[in-house]
Amino acid sequence: MGQMRSLLSIFKKIKFKKADIPKASPPDGTPFKERYDCFQKLLADNNSILETMADMEEKLSGDYMFDMHYVDSKCNILIEKVQSVIENLDSLSNGEYSGLYDAFEKINAAIKNFLAKNIEIPVTEFTMPFEDVTKDMVRSVGGKNANLGEIKSRLNLPVPEGFCISAHAFKRFMDYNELGDKISIASLDPVSMVELTRVSKEAQNLVLNARVPPDLEKSISDAASELERKAGHRTGEFYASVRSSAIHEDAQFTFAGQYKTILNVAPEDVVSAYVEIIASLFTTRAIFYCKSKGFQEEDMVMAVGVVEMIDAKASGVMYSRDPTDEKKHGIIINGVWGLGKYAVDGIVEPHTYVVSRDIPGTILEKNQPVQQDMLICRLDAGVIDTRVPDYIRRMPCLTEEQVITLAGYALVLEKHYGKPQDIEWALDLNDNLLILQARPLRIVAEKRSRPVPRSLHGHKILIDKGQIACKGVGAGKVCFVTNDEELKSFPEGAVLVAKHTSPKFVTVMNKTSAIIADVGSPTGHMASLAREYRVPTILNAEIAMKTLKPGQEITVDAINGSIYDGRIEQLVEAGKTENPFKDTPVFEALRGVLKSIVPLNLLYPEDKEQFSPKYCETFHDITRFAHEVAMNEMFKIGEGAHRKGEAVKLHVQLPLDIRVIDLGGGVENGSGKITVDKIACIPMKALLKGMMALEWPGPPPVNVKGLLSVIAGSTMHPNPEKAFSEPSFAVVSREYMNFSIRLGYHLQTLEAYAGDSINDNYIRFLFRGGGASHDRRARRTQLIKKILEKIDFYVDTTGDVLDGRVTKYDRITIEKKLDIMAKLTVFTKQLDMTLFSDDVVNWYAKEFINKHYVE
Amino acid sequence: MAKIKNLKELMIPITDYPHMPYWATLEEAVVLLNFSYETAHDTILVFDESYGLIGVLDQKEMLRDIHPGFSKLSTKKVSDEWEKLISTHNLDQLKKPIKDFITPFNIIVDIEDHVLTAAHLMLKHNIDLLPVKESENVAGAVKMRDIFHEIAAFILRF
Repeated sequence: MGQMRSLLSIFKKIKFKKADIPKASPPDGTPFKERYDCFQKLLADNNSILETMADMEEKLSGDYMFDMHYVDSKCNILIEKVQSVIENLDSLSNGEYSGLYDAFEKINAAIKNFLAKNIEIPVTEFTMPFEDVTKDMVRSVGGKNANLGEIKSRLNLPVPEGFCISAHAFKRFMDYNELGDKISIASLDPVSMVELTRVSKEAQNLVLNARVPPDLEKSISDAASELERKAGHRTGEFYASVRSSAIHEDAQFTFAGQYKTILNVAPEDVVSAYVEIIASLFTTRAIFYCKSKGFQEEDMVMAVGVVEMIDAKASGVMYSRDPTDEKKHGIIINGVWGLGKYAVDGIVEPHTYVVSRDIPGTILEKNQPVQQDMLICRLDAGVIDTRVPDYIRRMPCLTEEQVITLAGYALVLEKHYGKPQDIEWALDLNDNLLILQARPLRIVAEKRSRPVPRSLHGHKILIDKGQIACKGVGAGKVCFVTNDEELKSFPEGAVLVAKHTSPKFVTVMNKTSAIIADVGSPTGHMASLAREYRVPTILNAEIAMKTLKPGQEITVDAINGSIYDGRIEQLVEAGKTENPFKDTPVFEALRGVLKSIVPLNLLYPEDKEQFSPKYCETFHDITRFAHEVAMNEMFKIGEGAHRKGEAVKLHVQLPLDIRVIDLGGGVENGSGKITVDKIACIPMKALLKGMMALEWPGPPPVNVKGLLSVIAGSTMHPNPEKAFSEPSFAVVSREYMNFSIRLGYHLQTLEAYAGDSINDNYIRFLFRGGGASHDRRARRTQLIKKILEKIDFYVDTTGDVLDGRVTKYDRITIEKKLDIMAKLTVFTKQLDMTLFSDDVVNWYAKEFINKHYVE
Repeated sequence: MAKIKNLKELMIPITDYPHMPYWATLEEAVVLLNFSYETAHDTILVFDESYGLIGVLDQKEMLRDIHPGFSKLSTKKVSDEWEKLISTHNLDQLKKPIKDFITPFNIIVDIEDHVLTAAHLMLKHNIDLLPVKESENVAGAVKMRDIFHEIAAFILRF
């Protein structure tokens, strides 16, 4: 900014030199053309600022998807344009409003501050054991690792052995391979699936083909050996689970299932698994999630956790509260035989236990469906899907005692973190319960004012079973999703119907009005995402794929758990909730920066004290101020016109001596004299047309010569002869006109802009003087005021001075108003002398309106 | 005994009169005089573009201009139907500029002149209103009724 200032002062110096050159120009030194160009640029910038602001505000409605890049780029446009507006005003006014630079600097700093949340990656060891990690180290090791470290080091709850590969290590990996420069997602449009897929593929390939720097590789291998030593004694054989722990993961945002977890990894494969996890930072759905949640490229930092693999007998997810209803006093525990992936991914229907929060050791509900398939660790690394052995297939995966122990852990965790928790657990082969992960539980707040009716007469219920994963009501056409490919062409507003749930559904969560899956549980990743995006979701519906037909219009009541045939507006209305997107950081960022952009504090130009640069608090204030002041500056253009040598006489059938100064495009090319048909200036044409359509006063009666003059009370023109010989000057371009008309004893300046943009258009009318006594001149001012107000002008009068303006009408309306102004000009010519009383004023106002004003 | 007023004291300042430019219409003049009813003004001063006083329009003249039946030259009895007053001809007359109807001012009296000089000029030219100049400006006008009042006051003292 300082630099810009100094540049500007050089610019001013250059200008000053220009003004020294003896050249026909107004007294303030800047040639008309140059000033007009500044004015034009200012108008154009003003428009694009207003359009940009409108676009940003529209996004606040929540009906649109946008990413952080959108907010950034729009802010940059505004910053650039507002700066340009100030510079042009500066040139136009010869630096009269330099206070705007200070206002701009302040606002700009506020916006930049708000947007600047670049993550500084702390310099740490490449690897750190969990016992050395606490929850405060999120930025070093990611949310998931930090939590696990916290639980191990501070809560002493059973957690598997493990270590973290830090964010610093990630930076080392990226820098070593120069991946930061090669991968760019900043300008990516997250709505374009094709683009998203392409960028994602490229990025993943780059990562997978990159080399792990030798120092990092050594650090990981050493830590893996140490882990093997510590854990090996317990299990005999050692395998690890390698898991993502992105910097924002598990903090405010779940990122549930967006990144990779590799199970049952042999110690020697930990390094290559690490690279795979890094690559998962750039999957299509992860990039989409990141961008749609308002994270920036710099925020995409991945730490990794390497955890002793628990060859789980059973595992699952536990919520310290019911995520769909916080008021319910139950701890929900879901479990499956084998590895927990099937529980979180909703592959099988899990066993469910609800444990009382109030009466310790009381199991309120139990649901233990028969489990056919399970996921287990293979002996030679990797995992495998297998049949649940017959002897346990019908048995609960947890004993009551284990259920109660787990519920106890949930309460400890909730108490420690101060908020409801979403916990992953496992039961190892030795019946030890272990906490694998804990993160804040997302609870859907209920904000409905009207209850949604339980069932509706006259509407057919198609499905009445399933579990609600996210409350709400959505309606739309059924769209079956049987593979990822189908997500790419998912239609806007449709209801996603699938056999299984998948976190990949996140890529269409901005489009889908509801989700139904035959299998899946409210404790799965997808359910968590659905809640985050607040998509009404019913899972475990069992018969949706069979009952519903593609394209069929349905209403999903995920409040009562019913799916209706057809669209039922009554339900949709009743189920309306706050927009999910409105809680995301990108939305917050937009809302935040708009506070420095949109509110308008400078409301009243007539309040000279308040309407000044020092009261400009937003970009809107600055542009409003600059636009207003620029019009004033341009208005002055006519004042110097008579001193200008370039004026050319206009040949017109009017009792006026008009001289025209063309700023460009105001007069048609061609040699010879300027006649009315050569005038190309839109406002001037309209005005002349109106003036010529009226009958002007004829010559005075023959043989009557005025006996002396009176000019009662007027000091305007002590020499009447001179008053009538002065020409009127019109400074014109194609859209612009500044016309100072001298008519007898009064002077009026009519300025107008009539272009294609409504924002630019205006008419300004300044009228002062007259030959009659002051009271009659003041009455004429009042008469003009009455008429102008009738045609929507804002008018300010002081004595016999009138300043009227009308802004923001389309070109045609401006032309129509100018036609009326032309008639007004003729009508009021020396009318002051007639205005003997206020009654006469009223009569004339009525007369004019009746004759010349058509609504 | 009241002091006898001089011309300056008898004169009504120009700004107190209804006045109009010569291109104003007869209708506008009617409107103006009608609105001036309460001020007891019965004439309008008429000016040219550079605010030079060129003539006067009084009530009687206006009525004659509007309705031919009121003309000095008309010998017929005027119709007693009101509607006749707003005939097409008469309404057209209203649209005409007053320059066609005014009585030009050819004489002017100086503010320092004697009241009797003014009286003499008015009687000689058969006018009820006489403009008064002060230096090089028209300062006002005196009315016959005010001059008469002063003359009467003087005579009746004895």
